[in-house]
Amino acid sequence: MRNFIVFLLSTIPTLALGDWEVNLPRGVTPTSVLAYDLHMLIFYITVIIGIGVFGVMFYSIIHHRKSKGVVPANFHENTKIEIVWTVIPFLILVGMAIPATQALILMEDTSEAEVTLKVTGYQWMWKYEYLEDNVSFLSRIDSESNKARKLNSGVDVSNVKNYLLEVDNPIVLPVNAKIRLLLTAGDVIHAWWVPELGGKKDAVPGFVNEMWFNINKPGIYRGQCAELCGKDHAFMPIVVKAVSKAEYEKWVMNQQNNNKIANKK
Amino acid sequence: MNTDADHLHEDHKTGIMRWITTTNHKDIGTLYLFLSLTMFFVGGAMALIIRAELFQPGLQLVNPDFFNQMTTMHALIMIFGALMPALVGLANWQIPLMIGAPDMALPRLNNWSFWILPFALGMLGSTLFFEGGAPAAGWTLYPPLVLQGGDALPYAIFSIHLLGLSSILGAINIIATILNMRAPGMTLMKMPMFVWTWLITAFLLIAVMPVLAGAVTMLLTDRFFGTSFFTASGGGDPVMFQHIFWFFGHPEVYILILPAFGVISTIIPTFSRKKLFGYDSMVYATASIALLSFIVWAHHMFTVGMPLAGEIFFMMTTMLIAVPTGVKVFNWIATMWKGSMTFETPMLFSLAFIVLFTIGGFSGLMMAITPVDFQYHDTYFIVAHFHYVLVPGSVFAVIAAVYFWLPKWTGKMYDETLGKTHFWLTTIFVNITFFPQHFVGLAGMPRRIPDYAVQFTDFNAISTIGSFGFGIAQILFLYILYKTLKQDVTADNKVWEGAEGLEWTLPSPPPYHSFEEPPKVE
Amino acid sequence: MNKKIKTYYLLTAFTIFMFGFSYMLVPIYEVFCEITGLNGKTGSINSTLVIEKPVERFVRVQFTSNVINSAPFKFSPGKKEMVIQPGKIYTTFYTLTNQSNQPLLATANPSITPGKYAEYFKKIECFCFTHQQINANETKELAVQFIVDKKLPSEATSLVLAYTMFDITKQLGYKLEK
Repeated sequence: MRNFIVFLLSTIPTLALGDWEVNLPRGVTPTSVLAYDLHMLIFYITVIIGIGVFGVMFYSIIHHRKSKGVVPANFHENTKIEIVWTVIPFLILVGMAIPATQALILMEDTSEAEVTLKVTGYQWMWKYEYLEDNVSFLSRIDSESNKARKLNSGVDVSNVKNYLLEVDNPIVLPVNAKIRLLLTAGDVIHAWWVPELGGKKDAVPGFVNEMWFNINKPGIYRGQCAELCGKDHAFMPIVVKAVSKAEYEKWVMNQQNNNKIANKK
Repeated sequence: MNTDADHLHEDHKTGIMRWITTTNHKDIGTLYLFLSLTMFFVGGAMALIIRAELFQPGLQLVNPDFFNQMTTMHALIMIFGALMPALVGLANWQIPLMIGAPDMALPRLNNWSFWILPFALGMLGSTLFFEGGAPAAGWTLYPPLVLQGGDALPYAIFSIHLLGLSSILGAINIIATILNMRAPGMTLMKMPMFVWTWLITAFLLIAVMPVLAGAVTMLLTDRFFGTSFFTASGGGDPVMFQHIFWFFGHPEVYILILPAFGVISTIIPTFSRKKLFGYDSMVYATASIALLSFIVWAHHMFTVGMPLAGEIFFMMTTMLIAVPTGVKVFNWIATMWKGSMTFETPMLFSLAFIVLFTIGGFSGLMMAITPVDFQYHDTYFIVAHFHYVLVPGSVFAVIAAVYFWLPKWTGKMYDETLGKTHFWLTTIFVNITFFPQHFVGLAGMPRRIPDYAVQFTDFNAISTIGSFGFGIAQILFLYILYKTLKQDVTADNKVWEGAEGLEWTLPSPPPYHSFEEPPKVE
Repeated sequence: MNKKIKTYYLLTAFTIFMFGFSYMLVPIYEVFCEITGLNGKTGSINSTLVIEKPVERFVRVQFTSNVINSAPFKFSPGKKEMVIQPGKIYTTFYTLTNQSNQPLLATANPSITPGKYAEYFKKIECFCFTHQQINANETKELAVQFIVDKKLPSEATSLVLAYTMFDITKQLGYKLEK
C-alpha cells in the first residue's frame, strides 16, 4: 500500500509537465486552454486533499496497530468535527464551481462567428460544408491506414504515418477567427473531437448542435470520433489544418473551382 | 438457540432439488454468490479478450464488430451478472443474521428472484451465437445505433427485463425483511450499517429498475412496432433515451456502491477494535447520496448539447455528491484513528478500497466540472474512473465481505497467508491495469475502440499485462475458496476479535434457520 | 405475516408506478425541451406576432438540409441565406427530388440553432412532420413560411434552420402490414 502511494506521488511531476503522452494537451484555442487550466487546478486540489486524507490514514495505520500494543480509544462521535468536514469540502467545491461556470458561459457563446462549418457524421466518415463559401466535401480515413488496420493485414502499423489519424481530405480553417461548428449526423450519433481545439460535441441525427473555437496557432490538429457509432467507430479520424487567413482564402477559391467540376454528394 | 435447528425441518430436499426449490436465505445467498463468481470469470474472460486486442495497435485477434460485442457484453454481465448478484447474495446471507430474523420475509419470492437470473443471463449470453452477434452498441444501448442491431436486440431487451424483475423482487424482499423482521429492540438507528445501506439501495432499485424497463421497452416498440420515441422523423428524440437511461443509470451506479460502503463500514470497525465513528452521519450521508443520485444523471451526457442552465445545474449537483462521500471516507479514517488495528485479508481489502475508491472519486470530481468534461467525455479517462470505483471499489468490497463472513457461513477458516497473497497480487495488478488508462485517456484515446494510434501503445501494453495478472490472481482466489471448503470445521463462532453484531452470536456455520426465537437487542 | 404482505403490495404498486413514470418522462421531456429549446424544435404561432412596423434590426438566417441513412433523396434549401427583420413574414422553400425509380414517403423534422432561440422562430407554413408522397424521379418544392418573433433577444444575430429528411416508406409499410 505504501509502495502504491510512492508510485502515485512519483507520477505527479510527470503529470505536471503537461506532456501530450500523459496529460491533456494544453491546446491552441482559448477554450482548450481554459479547460486545461481548470483540469490542472482541480487535479492539484485533489492531490492536496489526497495527501492530507491518505496521510492521516497511513499515520493511523502505522501508529495505531495492535502489534504496537495500542489500546483502542473509545470515542465514536464528535458533532463539531462532523460539521467541519462537511462545511470545508463544500466551500472548496464552491471555489471550484465559480471558475468552472465562467468557463462554461464562454464556451457556450457561439455568437458572431466568422466561419460556419457544418459537420455531418456518417458511418464512417465526416462530411464538411462551409456554409458561407459553398464548399463541401467528404473526409475519410486515409487509404494507407485503412489497409493497415484490417484484421491480420500484416502491416507493421508503427511504419504507417499518423496511423488512424490521417484523412484523405482535411479541413482547412483560418487562424485567429471565430469558427462555429454546426454538428449533425446522417445515421447514428457521432461526436466530433480534436483534443487540441478543446472539447467535443455530439452529432445527433435530426438535430443540430453547435460549438466554437478560435485557433491561435497554425498547424495540423488531429482527432477522431468520440461516440460509439458502429463497427468502424475507431476509423473515422478528423484532421484540421489551421492556416493564415490569406492561405485560407486561396484554398476556398480552389475548392470552389473544384466543386464546380466534381459533383458533390 | 444454539441447538441445531435442522431437526425441526427435516422436510427440506437433498441434491439438486434442494437448490432448485430452496426458500432458505442461506441457500439462496450461496446460489447468488456462486452465480456471481461464475459470471465474474465469464465477464473477466471478455475483458481479457478486449485487453488482448488492445495490447498493440493494429487488429490482431478480433474484428471490430466482435470487439464491440465484447465491450457491451462485458459491461452487462459484470453489472447485472456479477456485481448485483454478489451484493444481493451478501444481503440474503447477512441481513437475516444481522437483524435477528429466522429467514427473509418472502421466502418463495426469494427463490423466484434468484432462479430468474440464470435464465436471463443465459438468454443474454446466447445472443453471442446469433447470426449478426450480440448487441454491440455498448451497454448504454443508445439509439439509433442499437436499433441497427440484428435479431439479438429483442432477446437482449427481454433478458434486461428479466434481470430487472429479479432485482426488483430481490429488493422488495429485502425491504419487507428489514422493515418487518427486526429483532425486538433493534430500532432503525440501531441497525448495522450494512443493513442500512442495503435498505436504501433496495429503495433505489425499485425506483429505477422499472425506468430501465420502460426505456428498453420503448426501444423495442421503436424497432418493431413503429413507435418513434427516439426517432426524429416521428417527433421523437434519440437524446431523450439518454436522459431516461441515465435517470436509471446514475442511481444504478450507487446501487453498486452503497452496499459496498456498508461492507467497509462493518469491516473497518471490526479490525480497528473500535466502534464505527459517526454512525448517524453515515446513515444520513448514505441517504443523501441516494437522493442526490436522482438529480445528477445528465453529467453522463454533457456533450449532447444542453442548455447552459442545465449544464450548470448538473455540474453543481454532481459536485455536491463529493460532500456526503467525503463524510463517509472521513468517518472511516476517524474509526481507524486511535484504534488497535490488525491487518487480516478483509481489512487489507477494505483499506485498499478506501484509497482506490477515493482516487476514483477524485477523477469523478474532475469530470463533474463540465467545461473540462468536454475533454474527458468518452475517453479512457472515463474508463479508468469507473473501473476504479467499481473494481477496487465494489469488487474489493465483495471480496472483503467474502473473506470476512466466509468463516461464519461455512465454519471454516481460509488460509490467511494465501489470502494476503491474493490481496497483494490483486491490488498491484488492478493498479497496473487501470492507472495507465488515466494517461491514455487524457492524451486523447477514445473509449470503445478496438485499435488506436501508435502513441498510445506503451500504456495500453502495460494495462493489458496488468489485466492478465489480475485475472490470474483471481484463480488463486478460486483455489483459496476450494481449499477452505475442503477442510473440516475450524472457525470459532466469533472468528474476529473485534467483531460485533448478532451474526457472531450464532454458531459457525449457523443453523439452517438462524433465529428461531428472536434475540433481544438492548 | 399480514404486515409483510402489505409491504409487498405497497412496494409492488410503487414499482408499477415507476414503470409508468418512465413513460411519463416522455411528455415531461417535451415540455422541458419547449421551455429550454433543448432540441431546437421550433415554436408555435399566434396572431400577435406580426407587427405594423418591423423593428430596425437584421438577423441572418441560414438554411441547411440533411438526409438520413443515405435515402435516395436530393434535398436542399432554395436559398442558402436570408437577412430578415423580426416581426415580418418571409417565405422560402426547399427542393426535394426522389432519385429512385419508385414512389417514396418522406418526412422532415426541423431544428433551429442556437436552440435557445428556437422558441422565437415561428413557422406559419411548414412541411415538417407531414408525410410527403414523392413519386419516382419527381421533384417537389416545399414551402416554408416563417416569422421571427420581435422579442428575439438582441444578442441573437444569426440563426440556422436545418431540415432533416427521412425516408419512412419501410417504416410505414411495416405498420400497414400489421
